[in-house]
Amino acid sequence: MGLIDDRFDKNVFTTSLDFLFNWGRRSSLWWLQFGLACCAIEMIAASMARFDLAERFGMLYRASPRQADLMIVAGTVTKKMAPVVRQLYDQMPEPKWVISMGSCANVGGPFDSYAVVQGVDQVVPVDIYVPGCPPTPEALYYGVLELQNKVIKYQTMAKKQGAAAAEADRIANRAEAMAAVRG
Amino acid sequence: MSEGNLPQTVETDQTPVATEPVDPWARENYFDPDVERHPAVRVIRETFPGAILDIVRFRDETTIHIRPELLLEICTLLRGHEQVGMDVLTDITAVDMLRLRQAPRFDVVALLYSLRNRVRLRLKAGIDEGQPVPSLVPLWNGANWLERETYDMFGIVFEGHPNLRRILLADDWDEGFPLRKDYPLRGWKEFPVYNTERTVGRVRTRWTGRGV
Amino acid sequence: MSTPVSDFDLVSDGSTLDNSPEPPKTGTLTISDEVTRPDGSHQLVLNMGPQHPSTHGVLRVILGLDGEVITDCDPVIGYLHRGVEKIGEQHRYAQVVTWTDRTDYVAAPMNNLGCIMAIEKLCDVTAPERAQYWRVIMSELARIASHLVWLGTHALDIGALSMSLYCFRERELILDMFEIFCGARLTTNMMEIGGFSRPIPELLPSMVRDFCKVFPDRQQEYVDLLDANPIWQARTKGVGIISPEAAVSYALTGACLRGSGVNYDIRKAMPYLVYDRLDFEVPIGVHGDVFDRYLVRMEEMRQTLRIIEQCLDAVENDDRPLMAYESNYVMPPHKGTMTTAEDMQRHFIWVIKGFSPPVGEAYFAVEHPKGENGYYFVSDGTPLPYRWRVRSPDFVNLSVLPHMAQGAMLADVVALIGTIDIVLGSVDR
Repeated sequence: MGLIDDRFDKNVFTTSLDFLFNWGRRSSLWWLQFGLACCAIEMIAASMARFDLAERFGMLYRASPRQADLMIVAGTVTKKMAPVVRQLYDQMPEPKWVISMGSCANVGGPFDSYAVVQGVDQVVPVDIYVPGCPPTPEALYYGVLELQNKVIKYQTMAKKQGAAAAEADRIANRAEAMAAVRG
Repeated sequence: MSEGNLPQTVETDQTPVATEPVDPWARENYFDPDVERHPAVRVIRETFPGAILDIVRFRDETTIHIRPELLLEICTLLRGHEQVGMDVLTDITAVDMLRLRQAPRFDVVALLYSLRNRVRLRLKAGIDEGQPVPSLVPLWNGANWLERETYDMFGIVFEGHPNLRRILLADDWDEGFPLRKDYPLRGWKEFPVYNTERTVGRVRTRWTGRGV
Repeated sequence: MSTPVSDFDLVSDGSTLDNSPEPPKTGTLTISDEVTRPDGSHQLVLNMGPQHPSTHGVLRVILGLDGEVITDCDPVIGYLHRGVEKIGEQHRYAQVVTWTDRTDYVAAPMNNLGCIMAIEKLCDVTAPERAQYWRVIMSELARIASHLVWLGTHALDIGALSMSLYCFRERELILDMFEIFCGARLTTNMMEIGGFSRPIPELLPSMVRDFCKVFPDRQQEYVDLLDANPIWQARTKGVGIISPEAAVSYALTGACLRGSGVNYDIRKAMPYLVYDRLDFEVPIGVHGDVFDRYLVRMEEMRQTLRIIEQCLDAVENDDRPLMAYESNYVMPPHKGTMTTAEDMQRHFIWVIKGFSPPVGEAYFAVEHPKGENGYYFVSDGTPLPYRWRVRSPDFVNLSVLPHMAQGAMLADVVALIGTIDIVLGSVDR
């Protein structure tokens, strides 16, 4: 991937190949087994027999961050644990995504105390927030499907235009989503 | 003499109802309203006359306030006693009495349980800030982590503990002891932000009072 | 001695840490990779870090190894310490129960029960009999749910991968019942001071009956898979032996204590709710190894089914009140709140200001699946507890890990962590 990254402008050839790569990525997201607290039990239940997140979506949990491309932060991130979360995120190879599952990972949850980081997005950049305490497996499904929508838009071969363009892209995506909600 | 005219003296039983069970070590004594019948109280008074400062009975629980320097000896006595036999340590914790009384500041609480009598006993030792308490680790290995946690949360030093360091907070936590009453709920310091890829606005309310 | 490396060598993929502040090193324990001790033997220090598939959460174990044999073992906890005891001091008694769900999140109703019973002891409130039976039913279902998670993860760690699928399949049935009863699968908050304020759903008794019919066969599946399995026996028999004296000394409770032969079950020793009327047995182990604790917990599941069936026989077709009607400490009934002025005012004060229990302190312990779960409240007469303490069984039970790991092999550590049956939310609170 290193040879063809950042080399080409957008054209029909690269976008089709992009689509192929992204289709492959979103159909086989391997997630880092990183359950911290109660949401971990719901994440495990989501990958078990009734909900079967793992087999149907091609997702698989990996114990090592080097082999994972999705990190589902499920549970409360404490100040003692935060450097570990950051280190694991840094050990994951690109492209990588983060789902923040549960209200503890979103905003610190019901724990507004001395030991809890108020949201994992102060530690790692988050792509999808799944609310709930804990979110039911169906809610986690919804988050994963939204992430798949996001993955399909990932640009590998077109030139990456930097953080400002990424931020503008994010704002445009949000405007589009809000317009879709308002109808 | 006809018996009908004389007032009949009714034989009433004047002897008081026997509240003393036959066996002074029986389980009922632990719940007797007269705390001096409590077997553990009797045992402590026999061996350490001035050790007991107060005895409280509330909802079938007995709390004995003792002198802190005698904590280890009293627990050894209660544990080794044949009849009382408080052989299980249930809990060690502390309460910061800052808002309830002037001195001493902390109450170290040890909760004991007797397997043969099936009763609990709470021992409380009041200490000031900076005053150490003898550790119960020589008696029970389970006291090790419980005392580490009490030290971590309150700053109470247990003398004789083999490994007194922080257990629940990070080893280099320098912000103090959280469960003290003068420590704010949200702590003193903010968290350093590691995420610089995407800035996230965070609205932090100033309200730190009681929850609704 | 090789140069010591810090325990977290920040190897990053390059782009992101340039401007951010240096994260603090987690802990001042600097570990060196390999140490030559004075007597010439080598010791390798291995970090079984907070993120590990087999540690049941964020537990970190620092192991000192001499080949495959463990010489030192130091569990580091606190990665999930959220400060619930301090948070509880800022919330009213009825709200404190919410945080007990999150401590032991696999058996939340049992935590709720302990907290509620401690508050009821403080206020001297007794729930009516029908509510007590239903409390027993829901908390015993939580016991089965907790043991299923234990068995699934314990077997998964040791290598029996399919056990986790079967156990979670049964657990889904129990979570359905919780969902019908209180609306939530996991963090239930279902017990209330004085009983239950809402009626029992109509579907629930039949669901519990069906579960009691289905579960024994399913449990027989687990027994068929594991009990006589030579691999299971080789990995669990003789591993992690705790003598009865050591068990009492380490303040163990629950299956860890009973597996070593000490008969201490709070439901029999100091019965609460309706346990003194129920007919059940408490399994006691003999050897104190991992296999015995496994057998003790499996038998506990069978005895729990007996308890549930007896309670259902007592209250299946019952319409007695579910809530104590006392003036100060109990939430008034919904119908009264909606129609009468007194109840509405009481409800308002109860919710917004909170009730003020009498001054004093109370400790109440329940027989949690993990051991003795105790709640200690110190009240100063205000609606907020002055001090709230959770005596969690896992925290105390986990301290026996170094004792068990002495002389054990590296592969046994996974079995040892699983057999103590820890849930990190309860360890760290």
